[in-house]
Amino acid sequence: MASEDKLVAEVEALKESFAETADKIIKDIKRHSKIMERSDKRQRLEYDELQKKLKEVETLQEEITATQREVVFTMGAIGESRSKETGNHVKRVAEYSKLLALYYGLSQEEAEMLKQASPMHDIGKVAIPDAVLNKPGRFDAQERELMNTHSKLGYDMLCHSQRPLLKCAATVAYEHHEKWDGSGYPRGLKEDEIHIYGRITALADVFDALGSDRCYKEAWEDQKIFDLFIQERGKHFDPKLIDIFFRHLDEFLVIREELKDS
Amino acid sequence: MESLHIKATQYTPEIILDLNGTITMTGKSYPENTFEFYKPVMEWLEEYFEENKSNTITVNLEIIYFNSSSSKLFFDFFDLLDENRKGRELIVNWIYDEENESAEEAGEDFVEDFADLHIQLVTK
Repeated sequence: MASEDKLVAEVEALKESFAETADKIIKDIKRHSKIMERSDKRQRLEYDELQKKLKEVETLQEEITATQREVVFTMGAIGESRSKETGNHVKRVAEYSKLLALYYGLSQEEAEMLKQASPMHDIGKVAIPDAVLNKPGRFDAQERELMNTHSKLGYDMLCHSQRPLLKCAATVAYEHHEKWDGSGYPRGLKEDEIHIYGRITALADVFDALGSDRCYKEAWEDQKIFDLFIQERGKHFDPKLIDIFFRHLDEFLVIREELKDS
Repeated sequence: MESLHIKATQYTPEIILDLNGTITMTGKSYPENTFEFYKPVMEWLEEYFEENKSNTITVNLEIIYFNSSSSKLFFDFFDLLDENRKGRELIVNWIYDEENESAEEAGEDFVEDFADLHIQLVTK
């Protein structure tokens, strides 16, 4: 009898302990699912928030890029308007530059950057006196010297920026009058010493300038321009770029036609 | 036994376990290995409760961000408090920013699960 009581007491104790354990397990299971449920909800909120913020950052980035593009383009237009050149000159130079850059083998991004930066190549002209800038006819030696400072002036205006686009524009402003054979200005750089941005813009700018009426001259006939280019291949211009120009001449002429001055 | 002070990191809160009975956790909690991180904390508390049976304990938790295993850890932490609440005064504050919905809900869950701890929800 006594052993029976003992056994019952033991089983009772087991029952109690089992019930306690079962309660604990149930509590844990409920807790666990609650934790997961809350965690899922939190994760969803966080992800939504993240998406929202990302969208904001993207919009902001687009805004910044667009603003930069506009500022750069406007600065270029200011430079051009000072010298009474037509508004479409900078647009055409931009497009020619991009096309040359792509065929030269620069990446899409770099070609696009050059396109956006090239309108600023003459920004230094804002610091040149009107009397010289708009003088009909040829410059005398002193005026020519003054005129030639626009490259360095443009570079000085742009060189302080760390933005890739403005750094590119600074290079273009500085080097677009350098010549392949070293006879250009302001530094007399030659061949690969001239940054590819400078070599490209030099060709694009000259092609457009020769084909347009200016206060001091009438537009050249195409054949005369082409003859000059052949003659200046490896002298004024990077021979590789001249080759690209003639190989894809039709595309350059399409740009000129689409952006012609009204 | 000494007070324990763990400095905050990018993933873990600042934790101060003071011998005077003040327990403070402030910051974010999403460690790479939550249970490993909190192990010294839980061990310190177990030892402390073993040595101090009747003093007043004040707990201030201000966790602004936490992962699910931290959430589980806090349940374990409150379990430990619950087991050691008898014979002493216990003040537990769950502090959160009004706009932090997750922290608020977590606080409400703890209040519900640990009625005997009388957890106070304190908005900043």
